[in-house]
Amino acid sequence: MRNSYDIAIIGAGPAGMSAAITAVKAGSTVVVLDDKKQAGGQIYRNVSHSPLPNPESLGSDYTKGRSLVAEFEASGVIALWESTVWHVGDKGEILFSQKGVTKSLTAREIIISCGAMERPFPVPGWHLPGVMSAGSAQVMLKNDAMVRDNAVFVGTGPLLYLIVAQYIRLGVEVKALVDTTPLSSYTGSAPYFPGALAHARMLVKGMGLLNEIRKAGVTVYRFAENIAIEGDTEAKSIKFNCGGSQIKFSAEHVFLHQGVIPNLNMTRSLGVDHHWCAQQLCWKPTLDIWGESSVASIAVAGDCSGIVGADAAVDMGRVVALQRLVRLDLITEKIRDQLAADALARIKKLNRFRKFIDRLYRPQDLHRIPQQEDTVVCRCEEQTVGQLKAGFDAGANGPDELKGLTRCGMGPCQGRQCGHTVSELLAQWRGVTVSDIGYYRLRSPMRLLNLSELSQFTHVAPGYTEEKS
Amino acid sequence: MNADVIIIGGGIQGCATAYQLAQAGASVIVLEKDRVSRHASGVNAGGVRVLGRHVAEVALSKASMELWPQLDVELDADTGFRARSLINIAADESDLEILAKREQQMHALGYLHEKRLDQQELRERLPYVSPSCVGGVVSEEDGYAIPYKSTFAFRNAAERHGATFLEGVEVAQIRKIGPHWLVDAGSQRFESQYLVNCSGAWADQISVMIGDNVPLTHSAPMLMITTRMPHFATPVVGAVSRPLSFKQFENGTVLIGGGAKGFADRENNRTRLDYSKLAVGAKNAIEFFPIMKTAAVNRMWSGLEAYMPDNLPVIGKSVSADNAFHAFGFSAHGFQMGPIIGKVMAELVLTGVSSFDLNAFRVDRFERKVL
Repeated sequence: MRNSYDIAIIGAGPAGMSAAITAVKAGSTVVVLDDKKQAGGQIYRNVSHSPLPNPESLGSDYTKGRSLVAEFEASGVIALWESTVWHVGDKGEILFSQKGVTKSLTAREIIISCGAMERPFPVPGWHLPGVMSAGSAQVMLKNDAMVRDNAVFVGTGPLLYLIVAQYIRLGVEVKALVDTTPLSSYTGSAPYFPGALAHARMLVKGMGLLNEIRKAGVTVYRFAENIAIEGDTEAKSIKFNCGGSQIKFSAEHVFLHQGVIPNLNMTRSLGVDHHWCAQQLCWKPTLDIWGESSVASIAVAGDCSGIVGADAAVDMGRVVALQRLVRLDLITEKIRDQLAADALARIKKLNRFRKFIDRLYRPQDLHRIPQQEDTVVCRCEEQTVGQLKAGFDAGANGPDELKGLTRCGMGPCQGRQCGHTVSELLAQWRGVTVSDIGYYRLRSPMRLLNLSELSQFTHVAPGYTEEKS
Repeated sequence: MNADVIIIGGGIQGCATAYQLAQAGASVIVLEKDRVSRHASGVNAGGVRVLGRHVAEVALSKASMELWPQLDVELDADTGFRARSLINIAADESDLEILAKREQQMHALGYLHEKRLDQQELRERLPYVSPSCVGGVVSEEDGYAIPYKSTFAFRNAAERHGATFLEGVEVAQIRKIGPHWLVDAGSQRFESQYLVNCSGAWADQISVMIGDNVPLTHSAPMLMITTRMPHFATPVVGAVSRPLSFKQFENGTVLIGGGAKGFADRENNRTRLDYSKLAVGAKNAIEFFPIMKTAAVNRMWSGLEAYMPDNLPVIGKSVSADNAFHAFGFSAHGFQMGPIIGKVMAELVLTGVSSFDLNAFRVDRFERKVL
């Protein structure tokens, strides 16, 4: 009996599902790990088991995931659900927690497709109870059919407008949409518009969402900046500048969103090379067109490779899986090129659309790189801009030194919430590029790990089947 | 660049030595191949202990312990030092026998800082300890400090006294021309009268350049830390014969060590963790302190540390060359000694002798005559 899987795929979102389908078809032994109970990832979360009476109200971009999920489920791939991966080693080792026990498995090839996370929105008061990310509002909606009345949505980006529209369709009262897309983004993105025309359908859909929001009578503030949420122990009000004046009103539920960034903790703690992407203003693992990282057996697909969107993630999953099959000697390079051609062409086209979208919804500097001394940067350890600056002045020149001196990035989120902000703040203070600064050196566990869980080890190998609970 | 003294290695030993020398008026350059406090000095468990030291180290360790409580004032910094006492727990009768023998040995040498605890006393000091533990030994003045901050404190104080720290400067070659040391580091050259080797896990390479061969190895002791827990342990905790060591900090987080080693990859500045060994550490922690069953591990790490075959450091003069000195190979218990080692090395450089007996730490103690 073989002890190792051919391919392990971490994350069953669009990229992971697509990679699994491709790999299984070619006859490789595949295992998929995901911390949720079923396939779909964030975008297609619960798409085939929605708690909502009418999931169609979430839009066709959501419900179209059903066919992918169905194909994945029919493919016969082994999936380990509710499995939280907390360590991936460069020798094919994966450690994960499942039902209170640590399990380990090995795979010749690993595909990381753990998706994106929302970009932190470090403005004054963003840490107060009552303030959440718009994505978490959507998770509550998709998972538990829970909503918040009279919420204020703040920020920029298609996902924000989509969630507001979803709220409206469900009949939930929305207090206001505070749109932080600056006027300069409309002019700045214009040169990329022709490149996006190939995806006119998506453009129309985006504009449609904004129209839908306005028609529903939601107050929309455009070109807002200098967002601050106020309140002593919880959110009470929001204020911002808009059209030359300061606006302030009460707000107990504030949902923030300014786009998504790759979920980097896995690739970072694996030690694969990363680079700063000026177009998307985020760190990305450095990959070739086949998704291969600087660590040979590790490939990355989907939004955790850089934000590509669900459609491109499906194509990328396929392309990356094909290259794994070549490495496993299951297909030839010629076959790979044939099978990947359409997907690669679509990815190229979508990249042009991405340029436009990235420019249009680029988060403003002042909402990414906080300047006020008392704005919290590291939420876990409650470190403010002022405290970090003091650490910098005391000689901490890089993210790791700053971590050592101030404890920023040491908390349970493993730097997810402050990593990008710290890189950009240090770049600003030192007057160098973000690339020169780098990022925290990360280690496993990528998630909190219970000590009892850690003390029990089981090995999982091909042929393993899960007991149905 | 010229200086009176070149120190190779920006860990706590190098930084403390730089501080003492600079304070005494010497010009000092510290060459650090990565950055100050990057390796063992920055990522160790922060234990500040005299308890359980090898007899050869006790005098130095006790002298260092006297310095720790004053360091914050002296260095005008926050080392995070807290005197909390350290207790080594006896799990069974055979542990108690080990402790009785140790007490005899220590008392014979006139050392009285280790006091045995019976089961009742152990429970009073550690109310959450497992009822199966039978006793222990305590050293009242022991405690912990924050390694990164402590090393930085020495560095900053040294700089204030004029020492120069050069980071990212890796020594490629060392030569002695007449009375002077010439140190080549890529495109840069440095010259000095004295050389001090404090280069930790890389110290064997530097030793060879000076002319001393030394059987140094390196490894990667592992640590893990939990999220904040309700306060349950004031003293730092160890075990007489089990690989367990932990401390709860003021913020509630619990640092768990115990000496389990991961895999060291010195050439690439990397370490790899051995999770099955960490699992054993987790088991031990839960067994001694059942309250830790629900603890959530937040981070795990290890650093590159230098070990000598007898687990004692090398401290003293080079045997092959004049005006070169070593302080390395602390074998995972050098952090506490940092403050006194700074003084000892400064003494050696400035006067040629130390007030401590350094015979057990000779660099050539493993040299054997070939017949």
